[in-house]
Parts: sequence; structure tokens; C-alpha cells
Amino acid sequence: MCARVASYPQKLKLHLSVLIVLSWCMIATPWRHAFAADASPRVTLTVSQATPRQVEPLTQNAVLRDYKFAWANLAQALESNSAGAINGLFVGDASAQLVAQVNGQKKNGLSSRYENQTHKLEAVFYSPEGDILELHDTAEYDFEILDGGKSIHSEHAIVHYVVLMTPGADRWVVRQLQAVPRF
Amino acid sequence: MKRALPIVIVIVAVTAVLIFLGLTSVGRATGTIGIATGGALTGFSTDTSTPEKAMNNFLLDVQKRDWDRAFASAERASDAITEQSFIQDWVGSNGGLRSFSTLERYDTRPLHASDSDAQMRVRLHWATPVGPVEDVRDFHLAHRGDSWKVIWDETPPPNVPAQIVPVNYLRWDLVTGNSSDEWGSHNVDAPRVRIVSMNAVDSAEGAVVMGEVVNEDTIPAFVNVNATLLDGSGGIIDDESSFDKILHVLLPKQVSPYRVDFPHLSLSKIKNVRMDVKATLVPASSDPVIGVMNQKIDTDAQGHPVLHGELFNESGQTVNIPHVIASFYDSNGKVVWVSDGYVEKALLPQSTEAFAVEIPQSLAGKVQNFHVVVNQYSLEKS
Amino acid sequence: MSSLTSTAWKNRKSPLIFALLVVCAAAAQDTPLRVPSNAVAGAPATVGTSGSGAATFYLVGPAVSLKRDVDLGKEVALSSKELQSAGRYTAVLCSSSCSSENFFVSPGKPVDLAFVVHPSRVPVGENAAISGVALTLDEYRNLVLAPSSVQFQWSTKGAPAMSHSAQARDGIAWFRTSSGKSAGPLQISAALSNDVNTRRVVQEVASIPCNLRIQGQRTPKGVLVETEPVRDCSGNPVPDGTVVTFTAKDSGGTSFVDAPVKQDVARAIILAKGSVVISAASGVAMGNELRIGGKE
Repeated sequence: MCARVASYPQKLKLHLSVLIVLSWCMIATPWRHAFAADASPRVTLTVSQATPRQVEPLTQNAVLRDYKFAWANLAQALESNSAGAINGLFVGDASAQLVAQVNGQKKNGLSSRYENQTHKLEAVFYSPEGDILELHDTAEYDFEILDGGKSIHSEHAIVHYVVLMTPGADRWVVRQLQAVPRF
Repeated sequence: MKRALPIVIVIVAVTAVLIFLGLTSVGRATGTIGIATGGALTGFSTDTSTPEKAMNNFLLDVQKRDWDRAFASAERASDAITEQSFIQDWVGSNGGLRSFSTLERYDTRPLHASDSDAQMRVRLHWATPVGPVEDVRDFHLAHRGDSWKVIWDETPPPNVPAQIVPVNYLRWDLVTGNSSDEWGSHNVDAPRVRIVSMNAVDSAEGAVVMGEVVNEDTIPAFVNVNATLLDGSGGIIDDESSFDKILHVLLPKQVSPYRVDFPHLSLSKIKNVRMDVKATLVPASSDPVIGVMNQKIDTDAQGHPVLHGELFNESGQTVNIPHVIASFYDSNGKVVWVSDGYVEKALLPQSTEAFAVEIPQSLAGKVQNFHVVVNQYSLEKS
Repeated sequence: MSSLTSTAWKNRKSPLIFALLVVCAAAAQDTPLRVPSNAVAGAPATVGTSGSGAATFYLVGPAVSLKRDVDLGKEVALSSKELQSAGRYTAVLCSSSCSSENFFVSPGKPVDLAFVVHPSRVPVGENAAISGVALTLDEYRNLVLAPSSVQFQWSTKGAPAMSHSAQARDGIAWFRTSSGKSAGPLQISAALSNDVNTRRVVQEVASIPCNLRIQGQRTPKGVLVETEPVRDCSGNPVPDGTVVTFTAKDSGGTSFVDAPVKQDVARAIILAKGSVVISAASGVAMGNELRIGGKE
């Protein structure tokens, strides 16, 4: 009886520990992605060099919002190998390239991750009619390539992109996303 | 389960019968299926000993579409009036709004009565595809022997003589390019449309934002005006559209009034109004041309101030449902009110139809000028 | 590789970590990748490998994601199709361990132009109303960022052509100009020095109506009123369909007709008995007043 009394708190501790570990296991994996999603790209924008037209404050807000959204969805598309996430945010050649990359990944059992993204955008051209915006993006992110879940490449990359954005029906969309060695 | 099956079978069978009856009885103006006739009808009796009873019986026959009975109970004012024209006056023709309407209810009020004749004012409440429509008509009744009879004196509309009317007004078609996305090669700008005035007022029903919009472009535009009410901190209180209180298809340089209603809202809570006009490319025709003739501000039979006039169809195409939108200006040219109303009868080619739109009593004194545009829906329009 | 050794040095106080990193650095030396240094979009290239045995080669970049079994010590051929898109590529080679290198593919020569002109319709005589943006592209629609000269030219029928030369910076060249005095199609072209040419058309339309004049006569149907040819202040006829509002006032009240211009003239019938005063307006242009006497 004493032995039973002495083991009860131990059993309780064991049960609690198992419960905690199981709960963490159940929520850890989706939360990992949730953390990744919550750690959404950080984007900043400077427009002082934009020419010939000044970028309006409302447009700046919209571009910040939509570019952030575009990169978040790009990361999701390449991680999950689903091109649906790209639709509506990328058009023209940018969309075609991403779709081809997703299809290639799917075919070969690959995937890629873009995490901890930071984008420093600088507007360099804004057309007189306000329908074309060219930006220089100094992007910093953790880039990883996986083959069937096994990491084959990982790096902390700083990449320069030349970006073309145009206004869509209700958002700014990325028309060209081209990495360059330097601006 | 065993008890449910017979119930299910009965429900399905009854539904099928009702669907069959509904499909086969549409369009017939002879009696109303499912409603008892004669003395069994609630509120109905064969007693026409008073003008009120005679009027009630007549309107009940009209409501249940018993045209033979209704026509027989009335007295024709002239031989030119036939049962066909009588029926057409009630059910409409040529795809007019009345053709799609149902008499929901009516209110009668005696205006005057003597031993030999009486006048009754009837407020007819119609259910229509564009919402409830009220029509006020005065009926003259005469005492004939032991009974009272409604005198039917609506003369049939004059026949439009057969003629050839050339239709050669301008028409715009929209050609969309193919799906290949060569950037910049399929650039056709949306029409340039501008709001030229805006006025926000409080009315009995709520806040109203109104004004005028013009198509400054050289092509037709499909236009819609939205208004957003903002509070002191810039937060959105409400957001509404002009719906049908605007001429949606604006030809080049055409001006239309617009009105945006915010029911149950007061301007006292509103610090700012944000206007937005959306214009899109749309195929259009500049036919038919509808003239708005002989307009006057007057008071109707109920003492309400109205703008009344006549619509004249200058083209060869029937306008099935004309819709009148009137803007009223004060002495400074500011839009103080926008009224609209549907004309229940179709506007035949080279013919006229009367219209009337109400002006709020409180504003009638301020009105110095007005302008009317006509929206129109034609069933055969491609 | 140098990062591995430097990391190992930093961790030299921890023997286990130090040893592991040294082994990794050594292992990495066995399978180096030699990526192209001047790859151009659409041109085939090779990636060199060293060592012996079988390995798996991966290439991830814009529009491409491939996996291939290769033999170490031999070059991995990359086709022109695999390197069509300009941008940053990552080549990975895995045998016992993986090593990777990044390289860039630059755009080819500019052989195409994306040309966007605004607006598609413009009233005549408007200052700085027309603008165009040309983007220099290579054969595979990559943005060519090297400076290049773009020649813009525009002309209307019967008028001498105007031109403007602009240097494309970061792949973009642009111009702005005013609309002419005559209505009609304005042909605009953008050209590169190698005869690459793209055309667009802007429709120059009449401005607001000017000097609106009306005349009328009584007919059995009513008063037939019509405008003289409706033109803008430069003499261009307004486009057909432009609405002219006729207003008539007589003893019966006020009448309006919104009549569209057809072949330069707008017409309407006003149902008026008795004397009537008729005026016309189109947009902000007002016409003369017409008085027509009464006749029953």
C-alpha cells in the first residue's frame, strides 16, 4: 500500500510528461509551418529614387502589402509544390517561370524553402501613367533544397532581384522577378 | 422509417402536382387556381348595393384575374372599349412592367358620393420585378337600378400605323483580343467618367448622397457610383451603390444624375464621404432616342408635388420598361434631389406615355430647375 | 569549403566538433563543382565535376528544377532550354555528401521590346497626354539590363514624324508627348538599333464641342431641330454618338431630348404646339437659342 501511495505522484508525473510530449508532437509540425507563416517576409520600401513619377502613399502601402504576399505565396508554392498559391500574384513571365519550377520539383521529388525572408525594396522607375513599377530588391533569406525530405543544400543567401510590378484588378502583381549579380 | 416512407411519398406526389399545375396555368388570365370563387371568397359577396361594395367586388375580380366577371360587372363608357383592351390595361402588353406585375392589395377611399354617382380613390399596390409600385387611380361609379357599377372609361391607346422606321443610329461593339498576353498590345483604356457634383442630405429614410456624373470620353461607358461614409477617425460607417438610380449606360458627353441611399443613417455621424465611380467598356447603342416632353411641376391628386410629363419614343424600337430619373436643382444649380420612377406601360415606337415622379414636400419650394433622363430596358435588345 | 575550415577553427576548443568539421571540409574537397562563370540565357553550358563514381546532380533555378544521375569526373551538360531564364541557379552534386555552387545566367542581347502606351484614346491638343514605356527583352523574354538605345517615333497622317531617342536603364526607356491638333490615329513605334520595331496606335479624338449652332422647323410631327456640324475648337468633327441635349420651353412645359450626333449632326423631334424656345448643349458647350412661332 505504501508502495502504491509512493508511486502515484510518479505515475502522475509520467502521465503529464507523456501528455505534454504528445501534445507538442501533435502541434509541433503544423505549428512549425504556422511559425514559418507567422514569420512572414519582412519588406521595406524606399521611393525617393523613383522617376519620372512619384510613388503615391497609397500605392506604397499596396506595393508593400502585395509584394510581401507574393513572396509568402512563392515560398509556400515551392515548399508544397502547389502552383495554385502563385495565381493572382504573379503574371506573365514571372508566373510561367514559377509554375515551371514547381512542376519540375514535383516531377523530381524536390522541394525548396525560403525562410526568414527580408526584402529591402527600392523603387527605381514609376511610369508616367502609374502602370509600371520597377524595383530593386535586396533579398535575404535562408534557402534550402530538399530531395524527398532530405536536405541537399542550405544557405543563408543575399540575392539581388530586379522586379517589375503592374497594377491588376485589385492588387499589384509581379510581372518579372529576375535575380542579378548586382544592381 | 416505415412511417416516414408514406409521408415522403405523399409530399413528393403533392409537390409534383403543384409544379404541374403551376407550369400549365402560367399566362392564363382566366381565374385563379386554388382560390374559391363566388360567395366562398373571403370578403367577396355579390352585394353591390353600395359604391364601396361594388368597388371591392370589382377589384377582387381583377386581383384574381377573373376578367370576364370584372368586365361584365363594369359599364363601358364607350363602344370602343373592348374586353381585350380592358384586360390589357390591367395586365399590360408589349413586355411592359405591368406584364410582370401582380396586384398584391388595394386600399379604397370614397371621395364623394351621391344617390346617382360616386367617386372612389383606390391605391393599388403592385408587386413588380423592380420592387413594390403604388398606383393611385380614381374610379367613377354610377347607380344603376339596385346596384352600383364601375364606369370603365380608359380609352385604348391609339394604334401606331404600320410604317418603316429606319434604324441607323450608331452602335458600338466590344472586340476582345485573343488570350495571348503580349503585354501592351491589347491596351484599350476604360472610359473616362467624372463625378461633376455631389451633395449629401438627410431625408426621412436616412442619409442620401446625390449628384451628377458625366462621360467625358468618346465611347459609351457602363457606369456605377459608390459612396462610402466615413466617421471622424476615417473608419467606414457604410458603403452603398447607386443601384438603379443612375443611367448606367452613358453615351459620350452624356450626363446622368445618381443617388446613393443610406437607410437609417444620419449625416450627423458622418465626417467625410468618399466617392468612387467605376466605368467599364460595354457594347451599346444610341438607339432608341427618347424625348421627355411637356414637363411641369405640379401637385397630384393627393396633394404631393410631382414632376410629370410625357415620354416620346422617337425611334422604331419598342421600349419595354422605361425608367425615368429626374434631377432637381436649386437657384444655384446645385442638385437638391434625385427622383426616379418606372413607367408601367411599354413605350411603343413613335408613341408617348405619361410619367410622374415625386418631389419631397420639404424640397419642392427650393426647386428652380430640373432635368430628366430615361433609362430603358428592351427585351429584344441584343 | 573555406567556411567549413573557418568554422572548424572557431570551434577548435571543442574536439568533437572540430574533428567533424575537418572531416567535412576534407570530404568536400573531393567533389568540387565547376559552374559556368559567364552563362548566357539560351546558350548551353556545362558544369564540371571531379572525382569518380556515381552521383546525383541537381539544378534549381528560375523555371527549372531537375535531378539527374551523373558520373563524377565528367561534365554535366546543361541544355539551352534548361538555361533559358536569366537569374540565379543553384547546382548541387551529391554522392556520399552534397556540395553546391550558385551561378548566374545573364540575359542575351536585346531582340524584343514590350511596349506599353497610354492612353488608347486622347483628345487633341492636350499637353503631355501621351506616354510610352519600352522594356528591352532578349529572345527568351528576360529583361536586358545593359544600357541600350531605344528610338521612339510618332506620326499622324499628313503631319511630319516626330522622334525621341532614349537610353534604356535597367531595361526601361520611356517618352512623353502632347497630342496633336488633328483627330485621327497616331502611330507610335519603338525601335532598337538592330531593326527591332514595335508599333502601337493611339486614337486622337476631337475635344469638347465648340460653337454649337442649331436650326429648326415645324413639321406635322412636331418641331424638327438639328445642329450644324458639331466640331471642336480645332475644327475636328466630334465622334458620332456624342450626345447633344436639346431643351425646349413652351406653354406645355419643358422638354428634353438627348440626341446622339450622327454624321456630324444631331437631330431630334420636339412635340411642341405654340411658340417654343429651343436651346442645345453638349458637355459644357452651349448653343444658340432658337425661337419658333406657334402653329396648331
